[in-house]
Amino acid sequence: MNIALFSSANWSPFLILAVFVLAVLTFYLFFSLQKKEKEITKEREETTRRLYELAILKELGERVGYSLDVEEILQIITGSLRQFIDYTAVGYVVITSEKIKINTHIEKSVSRHFLSEMKDRMIASLSALTDKTFDLENIDEVVSGAIIIDEIKENIGSLFNIPLVIDDMAVGVLTVAHISSGLYKEEDMTILYKITGQASEAVSRLQEVVKKEKGKLNAMVESMGDGVLMVDSEYRVVVANPAIKKIIKVDISKDVSVFDFIDVLGGKFDIRGKLEESVSKKISYVSERINIDDVFFEVGVYPVSHSLTKGGNQMLGAVVVFHDISKDIELERVREEFTGMIVHELRSPLDGIKKIIELFVSGSITADSDKFKEYLNMAHQSSASMLELVNDILDLSKLQAGKFEVNKEKADIQEVIANRISFYKISADGRGVSLDASLNKNLPEFLEFDPQAIKQILNNFISNALKFTSKGGSILVSAFIYNPKEPFPNDLDKQKISVFPEGSDLNIKKTSLCVVVSDVGIGIPEDNIKDLFHTFKQARLNPVDKESKSTGLGLVIAKGIVEEHGGTIGVVSKEGMGSSFFFTIPL
Amino acid sequence: MKKILVIDDDQFFSKTLEAALPAGKYNLISAEDGEMGLEKLKSEKPDLVILDLMMPKLDGTAFLKKLQESPELPKVPILVSSNLSSVKKISDVMAMGAVGYVIKSDESLQSIVQDIERVLGEETKKQ
Repeated sequence: MNIALFSSANWSPFLILAVFVLAVLTFYLFFSLQKKEKEITKEREETTRRLYELAILKELGERVGYSLDVEEILQIITGSLRQFIDYTAVGYVVITSEKIKINTHIEKSVSRHFLSEMKDRMIASLSALTDKTFDLENIDEVVSGAIIIDEIKENIGSLFNIPLVIDDMAVGVLTVAHISSGLYKEEDMTILYKITGQASEAVSRLQEVVKKEKGKLNAMVESMGDGVLMVDSEYRVVVANPAIKKIIKVDISKDVSVFDFIDVLGGKFDIRGKLEESVSKKISYVSERINIDDVFFEVGVYPVSHSLTKGGNQMLGAVVVFHDISKDIELERVREEFTGMIVHELRSPLDGIKKIIELFVSGSITADSDKFKEYLNMAHQSSASMLELVNDILDLSKLQAGKFEVNKEKADIQEVIANRISFYKISADGRGVSLDASLNKNLPEFLEFDPQAIKQILNNFISNALKFTSKGGSILVSAFIYNPKEPFPNDLDKQKISVFPEGSDLNIKKTSLCVVVSDVGIGIPEDNIKDLFHTFKQARLNPVDKESKSTGLGLVIAKGIVEEHGGTIGVVSKEGMGSSFFFTIPL
Repeated sequence: MKKILVIDDDQFFSKTLEAALPAGKYNLISAEDGEMGLEKLKSEKPDLVILDLMMPKLDGTAFLKKLQESPELPKVPILVSSNLSSVKKISDVMAMGAVGYVIKSDESLQSIVQDIERVLGEETKKQ
């Protein structure tokens, strides 16, 4: 018993202590477990939230991704908010082109007072962000969701605004409000910031792309030579490039309206009617030639529509393009004139021959009369000039078709020039004009060229020089080798002539044979020189006498021949002093 | 003797026409371009002018225009003879007061002579 007593008396405090310790331990374990469980739950909640956040961001990213419409983006965001934030009402305010728009969604019924305070705070926030005041009368307002019950006395307890910034400019505000106070914590706001931030970034990026593309398009329209006018479906001018303002003679910095065009076009083109037709019937139209002063245009009117992703088309307006066709008309006129001239030049000699034969046939002139020989000579001259022209036309068509063949061979330019001089000597003597050659000693004996073709050029140059040089004048044919890297030959015999090309006039890069035919004739007006070597555009020269009418085809053919040789051709001339026609052939 | 002024740079035309005209009835004078034609119109006072269109210096159309603009120049019937055959050219020239248009290569010398006689005949009747 003692032992028992002892033992009970001795052991009982220990036992009590042990039980106590055990209890403490149990409690400790229990609480710590509970705490752990709480932590785990909290962690799990956090993870879920993060995942959720990511999912929402991803979804929003996808939905917002290709939209440029700020309102649409705000709608998407507000529509998704319910999934992770508790609110009584959510809304956004956005600046559109004309006014501001407020869209509020009520989750749980609130009073009118709640709404109006929320609205005021949204606008105040937008004002602060944009540094602008907004006309409260001119607001587009939409309220959706639960009904408004004025009996509900609870007012805004918690509210926060998130700005939507695009391209560094606040364009709207997203607002979340709740009747309970102190509800929104930083993390709630952080996720909203993230969402709007992502949306802003996406839109800014897209807008950047659009701006760049638009810039390209604008630059293109601005720099276009054609006048471009675009109107919207209400016929208001959306685009008018500088060219079109120039056409209707409006200052480039000024805005234009369709009426400016109606005034200028008058009865020539019913621009309003054609625009209406184009927009309503979606048809294109291209006008006949229309002149505005001295300039001719072809005016095209084209409908502009935008195909919607949902299908169908949205009419955006119409584009008017003024295409300047003056050059085409001028070319047409020159070509007609050219054809007319060729026909005339062919008909005249042929008709002359016909009429001479008619005289012979009718017996007006008999073979034994004095006139017979004279008329026979006339017929001979006519047929010769016609043959020359026919040959020129054939050469020209060969050149134009790229079928003109140059047969280069080793030939002596001195011999070719001497040959031509002796050929024209009789004619020059008959006119009292001196015709000489000046062959430089630096000329090699043989060079590579087509002697027949070069003869043809010399024929043209010399016969032209003869035509335009009066009695007592002189013609000089010079030939020399010139290396553009070295000084121009100074031992040329050119005392008798007054106009001679300089090294730079010859326009050569390699050492070349240069042949110059100089005269002391009437010279060529500067304006006419540039057209001399172009088909259809020969200068109308005034020959010194009646026999010298010319189609000018010879020079065009000469140019073709020289270019086939890889050389240059040109002329230097001073009115009243003379001209020097030259060609070069690279060695 | 009627005086006919041929203004044409094509000397063969005036020569052949001269040969084709009945001898002793007409006096043919020629000018090689429009400017010379104006001079001879004033100095020679012809009964008829035969005018070419494509000429150096002053062409046929410009010649007709000068005639229209200058009332002091003698009023003479103008017969245009040219190788230009476009309808527009013909109607333009007729509108400028020419009494007739002959496409040279389409007509024989004989028919041109007939045209000349017809025009001069009408002018005589008028007087």
